[in-house]
Amino acid sequence: MTGPATTAARKATARAAGAQRTLVGLIGVLGLGAGVAALVVGSGLLGADRAARPVLDPVALNTLSAHQSLARAAAVAAGVALLVAGLIWAARAIKPEHRPNLLLDPRSTSRLEISASAIADALRADAETIPGVNRVRARTVGRTATPVLRLTLWLEDGANVRDVYHDLDTGVLTRARDSLGIESLPAAIRLELDAATPARVT
Amino acid sequence: MRTLLRVLSPLLGLVVAALGAFVAVEVVNAWVRPAAGALVLPWPAWQATLQGWAWSAAPVRLIAAGLSVGALLLVVLALRAGRREVRLINPAPAITVTTSPRSLARLVAHQVRELDHVAAASVTATPRKVSVRAASREPADTATPDIAATVHTLLSELPLAHTPQVSVVVRNTEIPA
Repeated sequence: MTGPATTAARKATARAAGAQRTLVGLIGVLGLGAGVAALVVGSGLLGADRAARPVLDPVALNTLSAHQSLARAAAVAAGVALLVAGLIWAARAIKPEHRPNLLLDPRSTSRLEISASAIADALRADAETIPGVNRVRARTVGRTATPVLRLTLWLEDGANVRDVYHDLDTGVLTRARDSLGIESLPAAIRLELDAATPARVT
Repeated sequence: MRTLLRVLSPLLGLVVAALGAFVAVEVVNAWVRPAAGALVLPWPAWQATLQGWAWSAAPVRLIAAGLSVGALLLVVLALRAGRREVRLINPAPAITVTTSPRSLARLVAHQVRELDHVAAASVTATPRKVSVRAASREPADTATPDIAATVHTLLSELPLAHTPQVSVVVRNTEIPA
């Protein structure tokens, strides 16, 4: 069964990196193509006379000079486009992950919103009472329209994973749904098995 | 890999932005004030150098090779920065549970080291395979099934979505008499 809530939960197990991977991969492919093309030309595979031509070919420079205004305008436009695209890329990569507040009953005229940190704190405190759980980190992720809960649980040595499962599903998450009055709360849960008690920063 | 991607990605974005700014500024400068020369970087000197170098020149080949290797590393990074996670059974449709391969390996290693005859063990895990390399005081032909059985029991107790294969390699620490 793969409904939209399941897909949302599936995606929320870790911060999405698809766009970053695509961009880095694209730069890599372009660089690899340019590098290999230069090597092929230089090795003389496209003709010995081609390999002996200068890198900045006079023929190409003459063509550019013949259409100087057009070449300059195109270069400026390309430069500005790269500047804007690069800045957007860097800003998106640095931006912290969105932590949506929970909007209760969006149909009503009054607006009832629970802050992301309030939900996270309440769920963390509740999940830390499960036997065998050392430490919990909770946050809301995803879009405001479809928030997903991301829970990371550090389990102590010898904790029974199936018991933790049961307590999470029938206890913590059910209580959260009931107290918030919502029918579904997609959740992505990450278990760190056999984790030593972490040193608390004091 | 994912951490490296997170660090490298904004830096590459800034490099692209800087390249664009440099091109735009220098072209506008050369257009408006043709006699003024370069503004930020000495690109006329680079132009002269590139006019002097043929495609077959050693520096061009070295730079092209370096570019290819660097770019290939970026491609590898982009391909390998996917999620590393072991899926567990979902307790409810809208709840997914995962664990890290490292965490699974740690759990298995802990369990294997509990065996009396095992002196040392190292474990690597992926969602498909758990590999155990152990040093045992018993001969390999008796220790291997024992360790494999322990790992299988442990894995069957975990609510894993797909049970991984188990491979065990045992080295005997006893010096033969």
